[in-house]
Amino acid sequence: MDILGVMNIGYSALKAQTTRVNVISSNLANMETTRTPEGGPYQRKSVIFTSSSRGFAQELENSTRQQAEGVEVQRIVSQQGAGKMVYDPGHPDANAEGYVEKPDISLVEEMTDLMKAKGSYEANVTSIKAAQRMAIKALEIGR
Amino acid sequence: MVSDISQLGQSIEAASAGSDAGKTKAANSVGEAFEKIYEQTARNLEKADQQAVQANTGGPVDLHDVMISMEKADISLRLLVQVRNKAIDAYKEIMRMQV
Repeated sequence: MDILGVMNIGYSALKAQTTRVNVISSNLANMETTRTPEGGPYQRKSVIFTSSSRGFAQELENSTRQQAEGVEVQRIVSQQGAGKMVYDPGHPDANAEGYVEKPDISLVEEMTDLMKAKGSYEANVTSIKAAQRMAIKALEIGR
Repeated sequence: MVSDISQLGQSIEAASAGSDAGKTKAANSVGEAFEKIYEQTARNLEKADQQAVQANTGGPVDLHDVMISMEKADISLRLLVQVRNKAIDAYKEIMRMQV
């Protein structure tokens, strides 16, 4: 059913945005993390989105409804490169010059990203609600 | 004129014979369709129920999973009720028919 299709697309976006918020909160939580299992400071992570097309049946269905596609998280990438060096000679991870390598995470950037993710989530909830209201209106025809 | 009437009679007979043959099939298909809708609705409701329990017991489902399955279950239940209302209306209409 097509109205349920809208719901599925909205649902995929809700899932993707939830993953994004997860990654952002992981970045915020690890702003000061200097040790990781992989060694070195925490690397900032970000999500890569891709439009979802699952198999032939989905493709066929998509082609009949103007290429409406959901979204999914393709992968989560870690930012490569050195972190910022902070002078803190008392820190156990400080190098010979007394500098500690900390993750290169900007609080402002993460908060902006968080707001965008939240906004996008809300927008998709609105589209799902619209679909639901449409379905209920359609059922009113029979009354 | 007479031949016209007899033709009409024949065509009525033919039509009723045809509908006799088709009747059981038609009844089955309406019943089957209703059954299918009912089964799908029951499945949707069951899924929503399971997800609600899982969300409350810390299972691997998100709130939006639960809400969307509940919404789908709600819509299919409303659809089922509408189909039932229509079927009952049609039945009553036929029962009220003067023979």
